[in-house]
Amino acid sequence: MSTITAGTHVHDHAHHGSVGHFFSTYVFSRDHKIIGLQFLFSTLFWFFIGGMLALGVRWQLAWPWSPMPILGNLLYKTEGGQIAPEAYTMLFTMHATVMIFMVIIPILAGAFGNFLIPLMIGAEDMAFPTLNMLSYWFMWPAFLCFGGSFFVAGGAGSSGWTVYPPLSLTAGSGQTLWLIGLTCVGVSSMMGSVNYLTTIIQMRAPGMTMFRLPMTIWAMFITAVLQAFALPVLTAAGFMQLSDRLLGTGFFIPEGWSAVNSVRAAGGGQPLLWQHLFWFYSHPAVYIMILPAMGMVSDMIACFARKPLFGYKPMVYSIAGIAGLGFIVWGHHMFVSGMNPVLGMTFMVATMLIALPSAIKVFNWLGTIWGGKIQFTTPMLFAMSFVSMFIIGGLSGIFMAATPIDIFIHDTYFIVAHFHYVLFSGTAMAVMGAIYFWFPKMFGRMMNDSWGKVHFLLTFVFLNCVFFPMHILGMVGFPRRLADPYHYETFRHLQPLNQFISICAICMVASQSIFVVNFFYSIFFGPKAGRNPWHANSLEWMAPSPPGHGNFDFQPVVYRGPYEYGSPEVDIDYYPQTMPPPENKPPQPAPAH
Amino acid sequence: MFKYHPALPIPNGKTCVWLFLSTEIMFFAGLIGTYIVLRFGAVAWPRPHDVHLSEPIGAFNTFVLICSSVTVVLALEAAKRNKAGEAKGWILLTFLLGSVFLGVKMYEYSAKFAHGLYPQEPHGLIYEKADVHYTAAVRKRLAELKTKLTLQGEHTPEQDAQIAIVDQISRDLIDPAEKAVRDEPDSPQGRILMLRLAYAIYPPQYSDEAESMAAAASPDGPPIKLVSYETEQPAANGEAPQAEAEHEGLNGEHSWLRLPVMIPGGGLWASTYFLLTGFHALHVVIGLIAFGLLMMTTLDRKRANVIENVGLYWHFVDLVWIFLFPLLYLF
Amino acid sequence: MNRFWSLVFLMVPVCGVATFVVAPYFQIWFPHDISEHGRVIDQLFMFILWLTGIIFIVTEGALVYFTWKYDGRTNPEPAKFSHGSHTLEVVWTILPAVTLLFIAIYQMNAWADAKMRKPNVPITAEVTGRQFNWDVRYPGPDGELYTPDDIIRTDGQVHLPANEEVLLVIKAADVLHSFFLPNIRMKQDVVPGMEQYMWFKARETGEFDIVCAELCGWGHYKMKGRVTFESREDFDKWLKQKSDEQNAMTIAQTKAE
Ligand code: HEA
Ligand code: HEA
Ligand code: CUA
Ligand SMILES: [Cu+2]
Repeated sequence: MSTITAGTHVHDHAHHGSVGHFFSTYVFSRDHKIIGLQFLFSTLFWFFIGGMLALGVRWQLAWPWSPMPILGNLLYKTEGGQIAPEAYTMLFTMHATVMIFMVIIPILAGAFGNFLIPLMIGAEDMAFPTLNMLSYWFMWPAFLCFGGSFFVAGGAGSSGWTVYPPLSLTAGSGQTLWLIGLTCVGVSSMMGSVNYLTTIIQMRAPGMTMFRLPMTIWAMFITAVLQAFALPVLTAAGFMQLSDRLLGTGFFIPEGWSAVNSVRAAGGGQPLLWQHLFWFYSHPAVYIMILPAMGMVSDMIACFARKPLFGYKPMVYSIAGIAGLGFIVWGHHMFVSGMNPVLGMTFMVATMLIALPSAIKVFNWLGTIWGGKIQFTTPMLFAMSFVSMFIIGGLSGIFMAATPIDIFIHDTYFIVAHFHYVLFSGTAMAVMGAIYFWFPKMFGRMMNDSWGKVHFLLTFVFLNCVFFPMHILGMVGFPRRLADPYHYETFRHLQPLNQFISICAICMVASQSIFVVNFFYSIFFGPKAGRNPWHANSLEWMAPSPPGHGNFDFQPVVYRGPYEYGSPEVDIDYYPQTMPPPENKPPQPAPAH
Repeated sequence: MFKYHPALPIPNGKTCVWLFLSTEIMFFAGLIGTYIVLRFGAVAWPRPHDVHLSEPIGAFNTFVLICSSVTVVLALEAAKRNKAGEAKGWILLTFLLGSVFLGVKMYEYSAKFAHGLYPQEPHGLIYEKADVHYTAAVRKRLAELKTKLTLQGEHTPEQDAQIAIVDQISRDLIDPAEKAVRDEPDSPQGRILMLRLAYAIYPPQYSDEAESMAAAASPDGPPIKLVSYETEQPAANGEAPQAEAEHEGLNGEHSWLRLPVMIPGGGLWASTYFLLTGFHALHVVIGLIAFGLLMMTTLDRKRANVIENVGLYWHFVDLVWIFLFPLLYLF
Repeated sequence: MNRFWSLVFLMVPVCGVATFVVAPYFQIWFPHDISEHGRVIDQLFMFILWLTGIIFIVTEGALVYFTWKYDGRTNPEPAKFSHGSHTLEVVWTILPAVTLLFIAIYQMNAWADAKMRKPNVPITAEVTGRQFNWDVRYPGPDGELYTPDDIIRTDGQVHLPANEEVLLVIKAADVLHSFFLPNIRMKQDVVPGMEQYMWFKARETGEFDIVCAELCGWGHYKMKGRVTFESREDFDKWLKQKSDEQNAMTIAQTKAE
């Protein structure tokens, strides 16, 4: 191994003692694979926390004010295990915060981005390993801020994950921690994205032209662009809200405004300004939260359909299209916010158009399955469920994009249904699939496929039971963020349905234990996986699993795209990117770009 | 080391810096965008002079920064020619110019603070309009001064003078205003007197400002008020401020007074001004640290690319200021 | 076994459609609509529901069919070695594009009616959201708002005339709220420091919910109001009575002093 590993690594080992060696290898590692795994474990842990918070939410919605079993006595002893309204607002706020900023975004970009990018492009590591390490360790202040905020006076942030001022300005110190945490996440992602971009632009193996990159890398690349251009705006806005809270400035504070426990501050600001700045980031962010999933799904589907990806270039362009349009649709979250209705109309048109590239992707996935020889492995099941679920989540987006309808369904459970279909049923499912898929590369062992399928079946069934009924709840006008919806007589008759949803949610979380066990068991006792257990084409499968420092024990050279499954040129049904073409044919020259 | 297939003929470090700068652009785009939105959404906005912004100083700082950008380039040239000493000299000069910029900024800030021009909590003196809260605040401040002055038994003559001024202000300006307001709450009379007080303490620097100030001073819409204004109080309309425009108001004359000042839109102006200049200054500081570190190394040909990257960053910081200067000082 | 997975995926469109079919029988459907343009909104919703429903069934159907037909174990012929098809790409770019643009243009009118074409009728009332209640202010006998004789109610009970164009000014006193009338299909966030207008025409009399639809603090869930639509006469009677009460109170107070 170390023969080909670059000098720097070798020195690392020379200098440190055994303890220092342990630290430099596993804790303050600069190796992209270790950092990726660190991200993976941290985010999976928070995924669990986020799930628990969701259960708190579900409990309250099913059996309001009745003491919550187990957790209740742990958390809300004073209220006799009962969830107080302020506790409820805190629950869903932190649920969303954890899930979005500490699970989905870091697990996609941080965990899989870090682990896969250098491996898939044939690089020995990221362009800037130290920067990479920092981008992980900058997550920790965020972890501490968000985690710690539960224990400060007034509790964690409780003004929704959208923290609209002026409400968020009246909130307790938990809100301040929330904003600081967000800033740290921002810094971390910024470091990450700059690093990814440089790596992908500059460190591709010989022959790996841009249009021979796997979709995963394309998705990561464009996601990084989104991060780099959208996030700084949110960071700026975050600083402004912080100074409104702490220094008495007045960016988001209307003229002559005063409210409970708020300092007398410079007025004249505009609450709507925050919403614009926030969504200018957070809409692109929702695509940051799905593009990498789309990329990974494309790879899994092509691999298990044993057939080239249908329409590679359209797939690439549609990702770019989503990213581009993603910057000009943020207003669709503000149709009824008091924003100028004419603006609303233009945002509506842009939002409609963004369905187009998504449509192209969906059809191309279907095209990929068409005429294949499908292998129903666990990752494939998750990948196909992503397609099937994303269609639902996406189509519900069309309702809300239609401004007149949004007047009615805005801030109802229709919205909640929509984004859980894209975020959980979509991205989270894709992520689980990706874990099953790349697990062998990460740990050198296979996860148990049969149990994986059981896990899939249960999750798939229950998540639909949980989130699909929310659509019709929304049609009734059932509002979001209500600690006790049954305070309105008109919603009383919805309680049984909510109880059904909650029970299914509990079952779903419970069924994740299968995954947890399978995951940890397989790390240690799973059957050994060779370099290429799935017979896939892309570069990472050519490296030993798990790859050592420097990733490859040979100089990778790329001859073709990653999707040449079932190519007639060779007699195996796959055609690795590094495999030199048979003598009779000359190697295709790498097209210049 | 592996062989790679780079897309750009530049080293990774430089690629990274360019990408980093593009994120920085978005960051400042957010800040400047905020400034523009808030400024054009605001009812009133102070003129640069109302808040003691002086174009010459700003212009000087702009000049300093531009020079520093030039010196970086020269440093780079020298380094490329492998003239380490010369390069170090230019970097040092850049460092000094940057420090000058910061020094001037510090001076400007302290001037603002001296006038109590900063976001209100906890001690800022800016008030949006001359209303009862404002008069009350002035009275409170005067009372403080009075007690502070009268406490020590022996008064120096100039302390007596100060006491006299304090009494005079409350007698001639506050009492009538508060009386008028008390007698008939929503009559223009009271407002005019309060406005008078405000002008006396901190006169607007342009006469035509009186209009917008009067507007801001009266909660519901200018027109009616301005009419009643002409008829009832010639003293306080158009020319009164002009008269006061000569001298710089009570606060200016007696800096020890530090009475609350009335600047329509002042709060928001302060918020944005310190936000923008503050973050820019922060970037300058970071730049200076970078130059400091550079100076500890020998700046020969090997270091040229480092100098270039730091230089890129420095040019960006310079560029941002070139946007901020007209935005804050001229319009 | 693999056919089993196709069936699992088949459950998605089947159950999905079933849900929307049975929901009405459990009264889990649109709340009773009493407004003029509410009908338009519901029709729009149903139109998009049908359209997306078809797309949903077709796409999910295709997924199920392919998983069924191209199962690696049972499918004899080798995988089609195709990298895509230009014509197909064009087709399935144009079709959605047209559909989407059609939807976009088709609904603009409804939006304009709801939020842009403010009728020029006198303001019926001013509604102010505050944590956690809706206050109402009616023009008094002089028919003018913001005059001393205004009638101010803080009991969260809003009375409005039916069968005529109603124009409300809505404001917020402290934080964001959202004035949501489910039965009118109307919703508008209220922002401190801004004035929002809302207009509609109720076709029926009766008492309905006012929901606060924007998170406004711990009490957001209980920021419930009731709106009563009644005929012009009843409304005027009610106003008259309230203003009398109010005067009586003020007189009493002045006496007391
Ligand atoms: C991964 C995250 C993700 C993704 C991918 C999307 C995708 C989309 N979203 Fe979603 N959205 C969120 C996450 C996401 N959203 C979140 C978290 C919120 C709530 C935030 C909050 O308030 O808390 C939200 C809220 C939200 C709103 C605001 C609702 C409101 O608050 O009132 C709107 C309104 O337009 C919207 C629209 C859309 C649209 C049009 C798409 C499109 O991109 C979807 C495109 C996909 C398809 C259309 C399906 C596939 C296409 C076909 C099958 C082809 C044929 C289809 C047609 C011809 C129609 N979303
Ligand atoms: C990625 C984003 C994401 C995810 C995954 C989820 C997951 C879930 N969410 Fe949601 N949710 C949001 C994002 C998300 N949510 C957002 C943005 C809001 C809006 C908040 C607001 O209004 O401000 C929201 C709000 C929200 C509400 C509305 C609250 C309200 O408005 O009053 C509800 C109610 O049912 C809900 C429920 C659920 C449930 C039952 C799940 C379940 O799917 C959860 C299931 C949990 C698991 C499956 C985790 C199990 C653990 C593991 C798998 C880890 C394994 C560990 C190892 C291997 C080590 N969420
Ligand atoms: Cu008011 Cu929610
Ligand atoms: Cu969006």
